[in-house]
Amino acid sequence: MKRIAAIGIVAGGLALGGLVTLFLVLFVARAWWTTPFEVFGFGGAPEQPIAFPHTVHAGVDILVDEDGNHKLDASNEEMNGLGLGCTYCHRNVDKGASASIPPVEQCIFCHKTIGTDLPEVAKLVAAWDNKEAVVWERVHRLPDHVRFVHEPHIRFFTKTGNLLPSGEQAAMAANVCSTCHGDVAAMAEVKQVRSLKMGDCVDCHRNYSAPTDCTTCHY
Amino acid sequence: MRWSGASAVGAVVFNGCRIPEEELQVESPVDMPEDLVTGIDNWYATICRQDPEACGIIVRVVEGRAKKIEGNPDYPINQGKHNARSEAGLQALYHPDRIQQPLFREGSSEDFSPISWTDARRKITDSLGNLADKSKFLLVTQPLRGHLALLASEFVQAYGGKHMAFETLEQVTLRQSVKDVFGQDRLPDFDIQNSRYLISFGADFLSTWISPVKYSRGYGELRQGPGKRGVHVQVDSRFSMTAASADEWVPVKPGGEGILAMSMVYVIIRDGLGDRGAANVLTGGNGYQALDAFRPDSHDVVEATGVSEERIVELAHVFADQNNQPSLAIGGGSAGAHTSGLFNLRAVYSLNLLVNNVNKDGGVFFNPAPPIERLASQDVMNMGVPASFRDWKEMDSPQVLMIRGVNPVYGLPPDANFVTAVENADFVIAFSSFMDETSAKANLILPEHTYLEDWGDDVPDPGPRYQSMGLQQPVVRPFHAETRSFGDEVLLLGAALNIGLTGRLGIDGNDNPTFQDLLKKGAEKLWMENRGSVRAGTFDGFWNGVLQRGGWWDTEAKERAIGSDPRPLDTIWPNISIEGPTGEDTYNLIPFLSNSIADGNLAHLPWLQAAPDPVTTMVWRTWVEMNTKTAEEKGIREGDMLEVTSSNGTVIAPAYIHPAVPPWTVSIPVGQGHKASEQYSERYAEGIGVNTLSILTPIVDGDTGALAWAATRVKIKKTGEHIDLSRFEGNVPAFELENAKIVQIAPPN
Repeated sequence: MKRIAAIGIVAGGLALGGLVTLFLVLFVARAWWTTPFEVFGFGGAPEQPIAFPHTVHAGVDILVDEDGNHKLDASNEEMNGLGLGCTYCHRNVDKGASASIPPVEQCIFCHKTIGTDLPEVAKLVAAWDNKEAVVWERVHRLPDHVRFVHEPHIRFFTKTGNLLPSGEQAAMAANVCSTCHGDVAAMAEVKQVRSLKMGDCVDCHRNYSAPTDCTTCHY
Repeated sequence: MRWSGASAVGAVVFNGCRIPEEELQVESPVDMPEDLVTGIDNWYATICRQDPEACGIIVRVVEGRAKKIEGNPDYPINQGKHNARSEAGLQALYHPDRIQQPLFREGSSEDFSPISWTDARRKITDSLGNLADKSKFLLVTQPLRGHLALLASEFVQAYGGKHMAFETLEQVTLRQSVKDVFGQDRLPDFDIQNSRYLISFGADFLSTWISPVKYSRGYGELRQGPGKRGVHVQVDSRFSMTAASADEWVPVKPGGEGILAMSMVYVIIRDGLGDRGAANVLTGGNGYQALDAFRPDSHDVVEATGVSEERIVELAHVFADQNNQPSLAIGGGSAGAHTSGLFNLRAVYSLNLLVNNVNKDGGVFFNPAPPIERLASQDVMNMGVPASFRDWKEMDSPQVLMIRGVNPVYGLPPDANFVTAVENADFVIAFSSFMDETSAKANLILPEHTYLEDWGDDVPDPGPRYQSMGLQQPVVRPFHAETRSFGDEVLLLGAALNIGLTGRLGIDGNDNPTFQDLLKKGAEKLWMENRGSVRAGTFDGFWNGVLQRGGWWDTEAKERAIGSDPRPLDTIWPNISIEGPTGEDTYNLIPFLSNSIADGNLAHLPWLQAAPDPVTTMVWRTWVEMNTKTAEEKGIREGDMLEVTSSNGTVIAPAYIHPAVPPWTVSIPVGQGHKASEQYSERYAEGIGVNTLSILTPIVDGDTGALAWAATRVKIKKTGEHIDLSRFEGNVPAFELENAKIVQIAPPN
């Protein structure tokens, strides 16, 4: 009996070890080629210091609350998203490298009067009153050896009429930004949707006959 | 258990691979500056304060941070050029050792402790308010110009104290000689650019003398401009960077510069080459015979200058030759730093009168008064005149001492007794961004903005021969929360002491007026005159225009002070005295300002410490330049440590052997050897080299009381130690290219 039990334990241990190894290999492989599994805080949408909903600001759809009911405004009308353009807040995207996170002051332009009773807006107002910067969790980040500049990408897609040609991708590219960032307007919490790995960049550069020279990005 | 163990290991492994937390965060700035675009640069015009020259600079600012300094192409002094010292201003701004809050220490204590600005201000007000004899208050600053000079002058007068301007290796004799020869209070503009023959006596004008960026630019035109190529002769007791660039270097014996110039004057008048009227005035109507003592064929002249009779006659003839006009003679630096300093420079500048080049192209242009009347008053102009060594030595010991932006404890030779004055004063206040020898001795240290964070203005001296003003604006917000502007603090102090300062300045209409208000008040006067480079319908438009251009100038406004008749030349042989040990192994010590760290006020900036000296390519140290042959005879090799002893002390530095050092001299740069105190270190500046100024023999020019800093004799002795020198040249063997042969520098036989 003892021997069988010992074999069982060893076999169980091996099986468990195998499972862990398999999981590790899968995890690394998946993270290597695309986006990582959403475990241990990898992948997925990070928790932000203020739960800023892009759905309300950028989306145009009817808004729903946590229970799935339509949100109603003061006059019992169904509420829609505001449908603000991306560049309304991310002002630098067509000018420089970084799309830029809007300054607190810009939020306060509207939130001086709007939504001041909401707990998340209260956090924002507190930051403004205390003259404190809001420290957001980054969602998109490229490695240090890659130089990505937004401006030429935006220029290419907007000024030269080179939007993606057909099918699924075309639908995704409802506007320029969503080519890479997905439909942010429909995300209550923003998460990364494309792998944004080198293969991803190079594929896209090839599709559009953009330069694929190493120094295009690594300089 | 196993699962939890595995997940714990997993968590450690995965988290260990993660990117650091701060890399994964991004900040929303609080405010939205209207002119800020992320990643896009703005260039703001302002004034450089690293040098007394005060070049106009433009600063590249990205996302509120200053990133790069360049010359302002519009600014009349430097016209787009700048130097390494201006460039390193960024390191002063971001320096890790900037004092970040007011520091106080009780008289007996060695340690400073931080206090608030409110308490610091109260302490100053108390000490000045309780001072019975107001004349026992002394304000020490660098030579001040523009509205800061006005403010300091009015403050000192309203309170009843005194002011002294400090300049290391002062150019007091230069100012006096310009006054004696040309009758000018302001330094003239030397038109090097259009000159065809330039003779410079001891003025290292391409490196550190007066306005080096402007002169270097002019020098480029002299050499490579569209006209006939000019010739430059450098008469210098040291092979300086300027001497190295010259067509010809005349190594003169220290102190003999004036004798050489007098001898040239003698020859020019004797041979009837120069302007007869000027010759008449200079000799008091007695003809060349009056200058008989300086005949080039006299043994004394050859002995004093070390230059042969033929060479002196040739120099005089070439200088006054009609084919070489316009010719120009300038002098200063070590030529004016002798017991005969004023005599020397008077003789040098008188040469210009003989070739009649005053206010002519390629000559000496007089500068007009500052464009704002109040800044042209004698009291304000005097704020820009440095005190002589004799003034320091003879000053009444002050009870309350306020020092701003200078380091006289380091820069004055010990015999000036400045350290004693500081130690005996009841209360010493230092406005300083960094801990240095002087601020470490203060009771209260007040951290100032750097010039990139502060308002200011400048009336260039020497100016560009027309009226001009530079404006200094903050190009970035103050990097540290607890630094303040010196101008604002003086205004606050004036208000607290209730001495009617704002009333005197005419800004009492403003609530809590600031130094910026005073600048605007001055700018308003310029705006109303509606002339010059910036004109506008409204004052705001004018102010913005001046900020954008970095200043205001009126190229038409050349109205000059009429020069009085020059003084006749001294016909008596001057007293040239060089003091120190005599006998075997003694040499004349020629100290010189470092091309990078200047007089030591920039020694804390590593970029400048690492910038090679242009002649020796030495970095990060003090060295002793010695003649190759002499060194060979004495068995001294490069890198041997030498004990350099004057009658006032000893310093130890390594030898640098070099064929172009006159065998009767040794040269040592100034600026190193810093040590604030036992408690406080000066990062980058401390433990490097020695303070050459500390061994200077305290003898002065008899007429002006200026320190004769090139008149020290020293004894050289090997210590037996040897080090490898940190320098740029000679580390790799030179290799010959097809079209570029190696040029060997060898000592003359």
